[in-house]
Amino acid sequence: MLLSVLSSVFNLKIFFFIILGVFTGISIGALPGLTATMGVALVLPLTFGMDAIPGILLLIGVYVGAIYGGSISAILLRTPGTPAAAATVLDGYEFSKRGESGRALGISTVSSFVGGVVSVIALWLISPQLAKLALRFSAPEFFLLAVFGLSIIASISGNSLAKGVLTGALGISLAFVGIDGITGYPRFTFNNINLLSGVSFIPVMIGLFAMSQAFTTIETIFTPDQVTQKVSNVFPTKADWKVIFKHAPISGVIGTIIGIVPGAGAEIGAFVSYGQAKRMSKNPERFGTGIPEGIAAPEAGNNGVTGGALIPMLTMGVPGDAVAAILIGALTVQGLQPGPMLFAEHPVLVYSIFLGMFVANVAMLLLGLSSLRLFVKVLSVPKSILTPMIFVLCVVGSYAINTSFFDVGVMLFFGVLGYFLQKADASVSPAVLGLILGPMAESNFRRALLMSEGNYGIFFTSPIAWIFLFLTTITLVGPFVGTYLKKRKAQA
Amino acid sequence: MKKTLIALLLLTLVVGSAFAQGGAEASAATYPTGPVSVIVPYSAGGGTDLIARALVDAAKGSFPKNITVENRTGGGGAVGMSFGANAKADGSVITMITVELVTLPHTGTGGGIYYDQFKPIMMVNSAYAAVTVQASSPYNTLGEFLSAAKTKSMRVGNSGVGAIWHLAAAGLGKAANVSFNHIPFEGAAPAITSLLGGHIDAITVSYAEVASQVAAGNLKVLAVLAPERIAATPNIPTAKELGYDAVVGTWRGLGVPKNTPDDVAKKIYDIFDAAAKSPAFVKFMQDTDNIIDILDGPAYGKRLAVDNEMFKALINELGLKQQ
Repeated sequence: MLLSVLSSVFNLKIFFFIILGVFTGISIGALPGLTATMGVALVLPLTFGMDAIPGILLLIGVYVGAIYGGSISAILLRTPGTPAAAATVLDGYEFSKRGESGRALGISTVSSFVGGVVSVIALWLISPQLAKLALRFSAPEFFLLAVFGLSIIASISGNSLAKGVLTGALGISLAFVGIDGITGYPRFTFNNINLLSGVSFIPVMIGLFAMSQAFTTIETIFTPDQVTQKVSNVFPTKADWKVIFKHAPISGVIGTIIGIVPGAGAEIGAFVSYGQAKRMSKNPERFGTGIPEGIAAPEAGNNGVTGGALIPMLTMGVPGDAVAAILIGALTVQGLQPGPMLFAEHPVLVYSIFLGMFVANVAMLLLGLSSLRLFVKVLSVPKSILTPMIFVLCVVGSYAINTSFFDVGVMLFFGVLGYFLQKADASVSPAVLGLILGPMAESNFRRALLMSEGNYGIFFTSPIAWIFLFLTTITLVGPFVGTYLKKRKAQA
Repeated sequence: MKKTLIALLLLTLVVGSAFAQGGAEASAATYPTGPVSVIVPYSAGGGTDLIARALVDAAKGSFPKNITVENRTGGGGAVGMSFGANAKADGSVITMITVELVTLPHTGTGGGIYYDQFKPIMMVNSAYAAVTVQASSPYNTLGEFLSAAKTKSMRVGNSGVGAIWHLAAAGLGKAANVSFNHIPFEGAAPAITSLLGGHIDAITVSYAEVASQVAAGNLKVLAVLAPERIAATPNIPTAKELGYDAVVGTWRGLGVPKNTPDDVAKKIYDIFDAAAKSPAFVKFMQDTDNIIDILDGPAYGKRLAVDNEMFKALINELGLKQQ
């Protein structure tokens, strides 16, 4: 087994696809407006004709590369290339102001690598164990897992909880469309045959994330983004290495845990890691002034999510984030169903994914340290050239998934909707969470009640169910208790 | 980035060319005069798609102007089959038709498709339901299972409400005069996983889908709902021989729009009959646990009519009809 895993990853063809994926990913991630989710969605149709291992590893390469690539424009342009790099802007751009862009990019590269490797190790250690446990998951456990994931909406809504709940509800209700999986009744299909199997997930994602961003870019299409800084001295100094090794592994673990939580993605991993590093620090007031910790923590944190997000995806078929949801599609197209049976029936594939993801992180480190100047050039492509290209990619990508023009219409609709959501300062992340987890919660809730013949006690019978009930209560009540305690402390 | 772009552009060209069908004259002597597309109503990589691609691969030599597989998904197969039924009746569009052609119209979600819109060319493959339980289950025969079901509410998992494996369980229940607690899942795989975890009592999906778990000693098959024993598993009895008259399975085949000239249909049959018997296709089907089951046009047409009546009655009885 070990030998077949080694031989299936360590050959030139696979290396080529991994490096191609990482290269594409870094370029996509570096460009503001092109997110990791969109990059993976756009490359997905190219893998339909490929074998499973190179196809999946190409996509994972894009994923890993894009999450890292977002930091390049965060540091140089003060614009996060992907939402995952939003936390990196805080300290990263301060470096550029001081003319130390190279140093900041070096710290980001190495920290991303460390975070990524930590998450791959976690993926490799936890997944096989969780796959065994996954057989104990039945409808009630899946329902409570989905509810726990949905409770995260409370913490990713940004400034307004009400807007977060609204967009989350929008995502959930979008998933109502189509033939109901339990009774077979067509819901909200308006007698349109294209809506019978529901609204396709990927065109919605491309619309909400990529098309809407392209619309926004049009507003400033003729203002050039100037990269004025010189990128030099990329290799970290001894003092920086010390900081990286103090913060990156912890942030990598935090990112991995956040990745495992269904629906919570890299942007949350980055912010939580940043917050944690700040809390741990003796001088928290220095965060935001351009200190290496302020880059190491969020960059290790967001790349930590990459491996973590694959854990529930591979073991239970539950996506850890939006990219993992697309990867489920990629596996299904190859005739592979993620879940505990994948580990029993295709062990070589599973372990090749683990090993290949490690290789992707190494490729990211080497490409980052050697060719940063090249990726910086990508940033000087004028928006008036780039934006039309994004439009074309969005249309081609959403058409190619199901060869359906209806899907192009869906993409455009959600592109416009996403644009106005941005204008209204409402985050679209809760909508994605709702879209992924809503149907999972609904069908498992009803399936559980079918199994128990209407007895609600089924939700309280297993220890796993109690764990999720407990976690959900903590996420929902925790913040209120925190504020209450703070208030009391202030009064005392 | 550039490479992705180039690759995407190429992809666009390839996809685009699938639509560029030449003005084909419908005549057997000259068929095929232009490029031919085979419509698969399910996603690329699924069971139906893989069989279609293997078959098209084996028939490639007979299509000098190219033959391509085109996935038109949606509506549980209704979108693709509806497209295929309404295509030009000159043999330039061949559709992979599946058992859903005779089930979806009765559940009210067929979007207007009906089996008589197609001229059947040939049936290629069939798969019958296998009544499967955990290896540690106390029931060792179908009889034991069904008599226990008279007093206990058996949770029987299927691949989706109104889908063929749901109808299979319902058909068996009807034949044995018991009623099951049907638990629908999103596809066969989650149902199998749930059975492995012991959360349900049995499943009625195809033998091919449970074969690896049976070989691993985790599951056991009590009976197949086939007309006769499956060649690969001669010691598994059929429900029919045990006295329960339930024969429910899925099939896949080729069809063209009903107005296609007979001689063109005959030519298509000849090409694909040879392809289905080619060593490459036979090996592919063996490797993937699929059973080749060839019927010619007229025999396939009869099968369509018989199954259509059977499923119509079953679906009405189950109250699965919508609106």
